[in-house]
Amino acid sequence: MSDVILELSDVGFDYPGVKVIDQLDLRVRKGELVVCVGPSGCGKSTLLSLLAGHLQPTRGTVERNGASRTIYQDGGLYPWLTVRQNIEQGLPKHAALQSRAKKVNDWLEITRLAEFAGSYPHQLSGGMRQRVELARALAAETDILLLDEPFSALDYQTRTRMRRELVATLAERPRTVVFVTHDIEEAVMIGDRVVVLGDRPTSVRRVLDLPPGRSRTPASPGVAEAEQAIMEELGLS
Amino acid sequence: MKKVLLPVLTGLVLLAIWWTAHAAGAFPPGTVPSPPEVANAFGEEIRSGRLIEDVIASLYRVAWGFTAGVLAAVPLGLVIGRSLQTRAALLPWINFFRSLSPIAWIPFAIIWFGVGDPPAIFILFIAVFFQIALATSAAVATVPKIYYRVAEDMDLSPADVLFRVTLQAIMPQLVTALRVAIGVAWMVVVAAEMIAVRSGLGFLIIDARNGLRMDLVVAGMITIGVIGIGLDLVFSRLTKIPSVRWGFER
Repeated sequence: MSDVILELSDVGFDYPGVKVIDQLDLRVRKGELVVCVGPSGCGKSTLLSLLAGHLQPTRGTVERNGASRTIYQDGGLYPWLTVRQNIEQGLPKHAALQSRAKKVNDWLEITRLAEFAGSYPHQLSGGMRQRVELARALAAETDILLLDEPFSALDYQTRTRMRRELVATLAERPRTVVFVTHDIEEAVMIGDRVVVLGDRPTSVRRVLDLPPGRSRTPASPGVAEAEQAIMEELGLS
Repeated sequence: MKKVLLPVLTGLVLLAIWWTAHAAGAFPPGTVPSPPEVANAFGEEIRSGRLIEDVIASLYRVAWGFTAGVLAAVPLGLVIGRSLQTRAALLPWINFFRSLSPIAWIPFAIIWFGVGDPPAIFILFIAVFFQIALATSAAVATVPKIYYRVAEDMDLSPADVLFRVTLQAIMPQLVTALRVAIGVAWMVVVAAEMIAVRSGLGFLIIDARNGLRMDLVVAGMITIGVIGIGLDLVFSRLTKIPSVRWGFER
């Protein structure tokens, strides 16, 4: 299919002596927000590294039709750069000097970080740091955004707010997103599709299509059912 | 205010103890001078211009030896820190040479470079080089992988990764290492000047001892201590640089 932007075919990945991923197939279409859930240590981050091109598969193929940026759980910002400089570093290399400043200002506004433009990451709260990560990744204007448990280190309230901000920002500036999390609730709230991964060596156990709309609440149609189905698939109920 | 007042008060107490002990005849004659004798020696050395010349001579050697040592050690440390094979091959030898007192190199320094500034600068180079190479390689080895993954995402060139990521990431540890190294260099220059040259604060002390001028010896020691504090203060200012400060605030 022409609109497939990421495709993993029969992918396997081994660390020395450890089979992490085996016979994994996944297709992500342009503009989709696919959430991957799975038990802790099953290889979710390895999967994301394969998608990002940071790792090469031991078996199978990974096709990526576009550039990507990754947002990490924590620590992906350069601590020696200010918020402004971190975001600016994310901009495409070819962006002209004037437009760079404007774009950085835009992202500072969008992520409500304008008054912290001159601050360093260690001077910010966890939520604010993740907003900078988000701004830096989105500022890159890549087609694909990969998120590696980006909100898991945040408290519940901040996590919920960040999820909404992500969804709102993506509505304004659409991207293809692969979002890895161990939080089932998070998965069913924002995903267009949820990919359930099994224990190591991981492969896709099930794919659930969710009803349209990414700003769901626990009461939204289909949410409880999807959550239940994922729990069953992971052997949690 | 406390930062200045407290050490000044401690210094005054130490001065009072020294003065009282001297007045009470606690030291055998000719072994420890009194504070006024030391003050007179200071006055004499300053008026003759010799103290300033010796200070400049010592600082000149430290500046060259330290700068050369750092400039040679940092690139080597970067390579060792990034390459497992180079680390395996060179790290034990760097540790070997780091364990040798720089003073042990004095015979070679004199044979290779003669007398004057070059042997002293060489000894300072040795004192700084192995320390900084080791500290740099250790710092590079601990740079979080995630920084390199982000750099890969951003498609940074190898030069950009080196200058905009690795060097920046190790800067707090490097600044700490530089601060330690300048202190060591200052200690070593005094020792080197006692043997290899005929100027500098080390030479002032050894020359004063030969003339049994213990007042001059103490004046030289106080000058060395004060300049040591000054050098540390200058290098501690590096930790205030905004792009380095993060390493000291987390």
